[in-house]
Amino acid sequence: MKILIIEDEARIAKRIERMTRNFFDKEVQILLSDSLENGLITIDQHEIDLLLLDLNLNGEDGFEILQAFTARSFHTIIISAYTDKAITAFAYGVLDFVPKPFDESRLAQAFMRFTTPGKQLNEDIKFLAVKKGKAVRLIRIKDIIYIKGAGIYTELHLSDNHIELHDKSLESLEKLLPSTFERIHKSFIVCWHEADKLIVEPGGKYSMLLKNGELLPVGRSKYKEIRHKMI
Amino acid sequence: MQTAPRAFEMHFSIRYLFYLYLMYRWTFFTAFVLLLFTSCKQYTDYVKSDASYSYYVNEDRVQDYLGKSAEDVFKVQIPVKLIKRDNNAGPLGLQVNGFGAFDVYWDGIFVGSNGKMVKSGQPEVAGTETTYYEIPEKRGNIGKHMITIIGTQTQLREAKRGIDIRLESFLRLHRAPLIVMSFMNLMAGAFLIAAIYYFFLYINSTRKETTVLLFGIICLLFFCLLIIEYVKFYIDIPYTQFYTRLQIVGLLTFAISILVPWYFMLQFDFKKKRLFLFLLFTSLIVIYVTNYGHYDRTAIYFSYAMCLVSIIIAANATFRKIKGGSIVVVGLLASVVVNRYIFYDFGLFIAFTIIVLSMLYLHTIRAKAIEEAHNASLLLSSRLQLELIKKNIQPHFLRNTLTSLIDWVEESPQQGVVFIRALADEFDIMNSISEDTLIPIRQEIELCKKHLQVMSFRKEVCYDWEEKNIDENEEIPPAIIHTIIENGITHSLSPKEGCIRFCLGFAQKDHYKEYTLLTLAKNRKTKKDRGHGTGFKYIKARLNESYGDNWSFDSVAVEEGWQTTIKIFDKR
Repeated sequence: MKILIIEDEARIAKRIERMTRNFFDKEVQILLSDSLENGLITIDQHEIDLLLLDLNLNGEDGFEILQAFTARSFHTIIISAYTDKAITAFAYGVLDFVPKPFDESRLAQAFMRFTTPGKQLNEDIKFLAVKKGKAVRLIRIKDIIYIKGAGIYTELHLSDNHIELHDKSLESLEKLLPSTFERIHKSFIVCWHEADKLIVEPGGKYSMLLKNGELLPVGRSKYKEIRHKMI
Repeated sequence: MQTAPRAFEMHFSIRYLFYLYLMYRWTFFTAFVLLLFTSCKQYTDYVKSDASYSYYVNEDRVQDYLGKSAEDVFKVQIPVKLIKRDNNAGPLGLQVNGFGAFDVYWDGIFVGSNGKMVKSGQPEVAGTETTYYEIPEKRGNIGKHMITIIGTQTQLREAKRGIDIRLESFLRLHRAPLIVMSFMNLMAGAFLIAAIYYFFLYINSTRKETTVLLFGIICLLFFCLLIIEYVKFYIDIPYTQFYTRLQIVGLLTFAISILVPWYFMLQFDFKKKRLFLFLLFTSLIVIYVTNYGHYDRTAIYFSYAMCLVSIIIAANATFRKIKGGSIVVVGLLASVVVNRYIFYDFGLFIAFTIIVLSMLYLHTIRAKAIEEAHNASLLLSSRLQLELIKKNIQPHFLRNTLTSLIDWVEESPQQGVVFIRALADEFDIMNSISEDTLIPIRQEIELCKKHLQVMSFRKEVCYDWEEKNIDENEEIPPAIIHTIIENGITHSLSPKEGCIRFCLGFAQKDHYKEYTLLTLAKNRKTKKDRGHGTGFKYIKARLNESYGDNWSFDSVAVEEGWQTTIKIFDKR
């Protein structure tokens, strides 16, 4: 596993590195970067799994780059002094926001979010950032009807019938999305508001009829839970 | 030749009150109510006796009654017809306007004399221009009468002034000038006070604004004009000096006609001041020369020229959207209208009053602007104070420092303590300078050194401080070099080995002092322009606060790193 730390203060960077190493034991490869510029180069050169990012680096605003980072396949945890930016950061889809000064347990809590599979209940997320060529486009969460896993990518099916590709896996997105989204199948996450009814087809096949008439498969193992929720 | 101006007409009070109403709307009501109680009743009771008969109406009908020799006695007989009289009006009065020294007879009965005419061996004692006589009640009946005036005129014979007579209630003849003067004195008093006030303001002001002085002078001249114009009612001016007063009035009008447009030019920041003043001056001279001897006409033309130039200036100001321009245009147009429809005596003064009022209004606008600027500077100062205090409590500084501090304390407590002390020292210095606008340079350097110490703990980079030719007596706005250093730390790449060096130099040049801060380090690549951050805004605002415009600030990349230069020029 590769973790990138972008932090311009040497002492703090070392602190984060030490605590990260303590949490993940020795199996982790930690990369350090003291500016956004170097950070971007590192991201292009290495497949990283987790980014630990400071928002204000040498006077540069990390926010414009945050959008680009959240569009990537890896998760981002913000470690910043600007606690008032936390809400905005969550809206763009970061996994956690650790305010400075922090101690080991707070950082560990953030790492737990990363390692624990399943939902993390982030109700603040408003957008999913999607890469479009070199630009980053923000997709509003409320426009998403369902998400379909497609290998390492995911397809976002939107209410205007468009489909957008996202770099994050279905598992990663599941962590970010609010409670209105439910994993109904190993390849599908659906928005509860768009679900119409559950259909049991002959042969023990389960499906979910959406309000727009589309039929999505429901995993056998998920069926009981979903039926319970729908009632 | 125009006849002597008559100070009032039958319905003058109504007219006058109307214009007064336009000027002082609220004062007017009080005055009006007072008038209702004092004089209004009497006015309605009066019925004018008859039209006044002028011996000379105009130059076509000049009768040279004076005779050939200077000491000739003249005898003028004016027949009049008394048409009707009011019973309650009191005794009948006779007003005579004319030059010389003479005795006046009513139906052959002596009613009074004006000066002493030439008698054998004795020189003439000059009479005054306007005189009033009481007609015995038993002779003042309806019907035809004969006024006989016998006298001499040894001086000013070439003036060819006729004799005007006028019949009116004796009481009213005396009271009417009083009413006119009560208003004119009221105005004159106001202008005297204004003049004194503005002179004091000029003397005690640090700014010494020309407009303030000019306005004081205009008010004083206007006060003099009013007093001179109406001094005739106080003092019996010998007819030989009759034109002296008019000449003084002419001179005052001339001066005012130059000063008022000049004032507007200064107040509105008019571009071609000299050209227009020259044109105005020339045209006033031309008016004076071409109308020499026609005192009233000269004064009227003067005021026309003044109004015209002022209107051009004010219209130009309105066009340039300068505050108050439109008000002045309206005021000037109003005074033109007043001048057009009212006889000189009042019209000119009312017009002048309107102009002076609009000037006063301009002045208050100016005073307001100055007050606002002052408030803004106070506001700026307190904002800068706040910004200085904020430097050390803003989250980026405080939280990052605390995070590093926690780490130092956890990892090597002894170093952590050094860190804490450095931080406490920086806070101490910040606290002690936070309310000053200028601090000793040494204190600023101490602040910078402490900050570098704190930052070296945070960044784990070595920072070096070096200084050249520092003059310990110099003062500098607080935290401006500190701000440059903050910028230097942020924008410099951490060296692989060695230190980032800050080098502060001072130089006293011929006309300025110069501080140079050189940051010796490799610069980071940055998207934003390094010269326009909030830090530089703070520095510039501080320099502005203490030195006005007498400073320059340059911040550029140089080969060795980054160089910031502050020049403080000697006060111009």
